[in-house]
Amino acid sequence: MDDPYSFGQIAAANALSDIYAMGGVPKTAMNLVAFPVKDMEISVLRSIIEGGLVKMREAGVVLVGGHSIEDSELKYGLSVTGIIHPSRVLVKRNIRPGDRLVLTKPLGTGIINTAIKGGLASTESIEKAVYSMAELNKTAAEVMERYPVNACTDITGFGFLGHLAEMVIGSGRSVKVFSASAPVLPDTISLASMGLVPAGAFNNKKFRIHMMDISPEVDPVLIDVLFDPQTSGGLLISVPEAHAPGLLASLRDAGIADAAVVGEVTEGPEEKITVE
Amino acid sequence: MGDDRVKEIDCRGLACPGPVLKAKNLIDESAPAELKIIVDNEAAVQNVSRFLGSRQYKVSVSLEGEGTCVKGEKGADAGVKDAIAKEVPRRGIADQPRETARILVLVSNDRMGHGDDLLGKKLLVSFLTTLKEMGKELWRLVFINNGVKLTVEGSDLLGVLSELEKESTILVCGTCLTHFELLDKKKVGQTTNMLDIVTAMQLADKVITV
Repeated sequence: MDDPYSFGQIAAANALSDIYAMGGVPKTAMNLVAFPVKDMEISVLRSIIEGGLVKMREAGVVLVGGHSIEDSELKYGLSVTGIIHPSRVLVKRNIRPGDRLVLTKPLGTGIINTAIKGGLASTESIEKAVYSMAELNKTAAEVMERYPVNACTDITGFGFLGHLAEMVIGSGRSVKVFSASAPVLPDTISLASMGLVPAGAFNNKKFRIHMMDISPEVDPVLIDVLFDPQTSGGLLISVPEAHAPGLLASLRDAGIADAAVVGEVTEGPEEKITVE
Repeated sequence: MGDDRVKEIDCRGLACPGPVLKAKNLIDESAPAELKIIVDNEAAVQNVSRFLGSRQYKVSVSLEGEGTCVKGEKGADAGVKDAIAKEVPRRGIADQPRETARILVLVSNDRMGHGDDLLGKKLLVSFLTTLKEMGKELWRLVFINNGVKLTVEGSDLLGVLSELEKESTILVCGTCLTHFELLDKKKVGQTTNMLDIVTAMQLADKVITV
């Protein structure tokens, strides 16, 4: 990511996401900065911090301090604290047979970032990816709060199927994924088809492929997209079937246009993920 | 080789999307009928195969020296799906058939055995000098902890190790070099990390620790 202001926004959205995925409300944050003072203009740091601050304001979070060091490589993140009633904490594993799985952001940020490095990404895909990564999961979390959601996680470095695997392991249930329904950023499939898949996607696949039962009908390129490591990805929400249409409609009404039902929870106990 | 239509690029050491970009440049410049791209990691094998498939090359993959060779040939029966579905999934380097065993020698100190240190140093010099007798079966020579001191400026063994490096790969632990502040002084071998070391141990047929 070349634009420091966007970088700050994305880093902050990514850091805040864990609280939203648990159903909590973030309250305070501390900036964590490592900056190469000798090699980079200080204005870059200022833009990053400003980007982060805009997202903190949007989240209603108070910046209470921070920590900065000089380092050869630029790093920026937040340490976030939030609150939630103990009885309302959402855990990953509490998926129930019959639940529908709702994903709130499109996939493909890792592939598009790889294409950006190679100078092969279109302006449209870059803009959509940056917008999606900088988007807080706040609205999605607020909508989710109105429904009897069973489990939730957020999609980051392990990719969609990697984080889904974390919901399935230990749940005693299995899951069926409707791969064709997964929301995907523009150009992602064509960029992946020409070999712009980050190494992380292959690692994610290697790590979890043993629990997957993938239909031969599914394009292998799409499977790589489902394993693509995401930066500041969306929430993956497990909600009883009866409430899935309501949740989906509410998410879309709230402006989360890419939200989609991407799978369903089935009886266990094999803890398998079937992709069809 | 010998056929000037075959273009070859060495992309070892390059992370994604580097190998794909190199292949793309080559195809955009000269559209060769046949090309070979040498890579050294699984992600690059898959990405380059897929890229060549998307440019209507028939793709095949083979082990070549220390890397994996992804070969593309223009032909009537070229196809993307075919290459990905049938070739890529079984392309683990460990699965490739081969004739010679792979021996990994892990050198964790600058002397051999316990007891007299002076003797220990002499023994290690003798050991490493004799190691060439393993021939092609000596696959990797890995230096960790005090062992990295043998690969830096001033070591008596630089000549011996450079000779071994012609046939085998020498890996030197980067964390260890950094710890001893010797990173700039290393004269032989490739700086490596623990993941590479562990992977190499897994792929080796035999691991000998000194």
